[in-house]
Amino acid sequence: MPDLPERKVGIIACSGEELAVGTVSRLAALKVLHELRPGKTVTICLPLFLAGGEGDRAFARFYPTITVDGCELRCAARGTEMYSGKPTASVVVSELAAENGVGHIDGRRRLNQAGQDAVELTAERLTSLVDEILATKAPAKPLVSIAASPEKPKVVGCACGSGIPVQTVSIEGQPVELLALPLIFSNLRERGRAPEVAADELMANVEIYNAVPVGSKAAYRTAILREYAAYWRGGMR
Amino acid sequence: MSHHPCVVVIPCSGIGKAFGTVSREAAYELCESLRPADTNLVALSKLVLGEEDAKSRVRSNAAVTIDGCKLMCASKLVKLSGGTVAREVSVLDVFRRYKDLKPEGIAELNEAGKELARVIAAEISETLDEVLAESQGGHHA
Repeated sequence: MPDLPERKVGIIACSGEELAVGTVSRLAALKVLHELRPGKTVTICLPLFLAGGEGDRAFARFYPTITVDGCELRCAARGTEMYSGKPTASVVVSELAAENGVGHIDGRRRLNQAGQDAVELTAERLTSLVDEILATKAPAKPLVSIAASPEKPKVVGCACGSGIPVQTVSIEGQPVELLALPLIFSNLRERGRAPEVAADELMANVEIYNAVPVGSKAAYRTAILREYAAYWRGGMR
Repeated sequence: MSHHPCVVVIPCSGIGKAFGTVSREAAYELCESLRPADTNLVALSKLVLGEEDAKSRVRSNAAVTIDGCKLMCASKLVKLSGGTVAREVSVLDVFRRYKDLKPEGIAELNEAGKELARVIAAEISETLDEVLAESQGGHHA
């Protein structure tokens, strides 16, 4: 039985190296990713929005994303919105710590006790937000797991090990790289949507993550449906 | 009053693998322990945002970048911000020379990872005077 697509929440930390609160953002994110909600959360290195590819920049459009920033500059929240998508929620460590009476956070390399308390507090807040997001009904756009794709699509590798898969499709004789196509195919097939009935839903999903030129919609539809039919047949063998 | 030249140090923000943590730890070792008077740490997230002060610091000083993976985010962002990368350090390249120092642990590095960070910091420190001299020469040319 194939694994069902699973909703995951993205967490992006500023990791600000200059300040102790930046270290708190990083450690709190890691605590949620590795200890508190493993398997339910994914992350990406913030700089990949500029240094990476389209698959990386699609992160916050693909996952409901929580940003965690150390200070009021809010580099993670603003950077994510500028280059990827509007975060579903944002946490600022300095504000959260002040609201909860945490003392002076110090030690960007080795956090003092207040810093360690702030890590716990921030991780709790992030966990609560993750649970809230996962408890809500699935939004209009599909949320599927990268791990759900049985193929080996091209992904951008990085130190955070994330990235949204892309697939190249020949459309009107030109190779076109389509974001998230392997996941969309996987999601549809796992829900038993045969090519003959899936065309509208397929294109609606493709257009969430990709800009389809108005004048080429019919050609995109034909090419993508052709690829999906091949994918569907492969899975039925 | 003379302006004391310094080198800006930019580690990557790699959060998924231990090599990213090594880059961060190496930057702290360099900037806090080995050469605090000659270095200035710049948070990479500020360059993502395009924060003016951070951009100004990388544009007006020689930059040393320390990256945890081959995507070289720190190096790329310094260049995108208009800065000059005087030394581009790859943690993976150094690790290939010190295979016994295999870093593990992202939130907390193991001892081998910390030692790898110290090695990287020491290597950068050894070349820092040269970087400073180059940057001074560049200004006067």
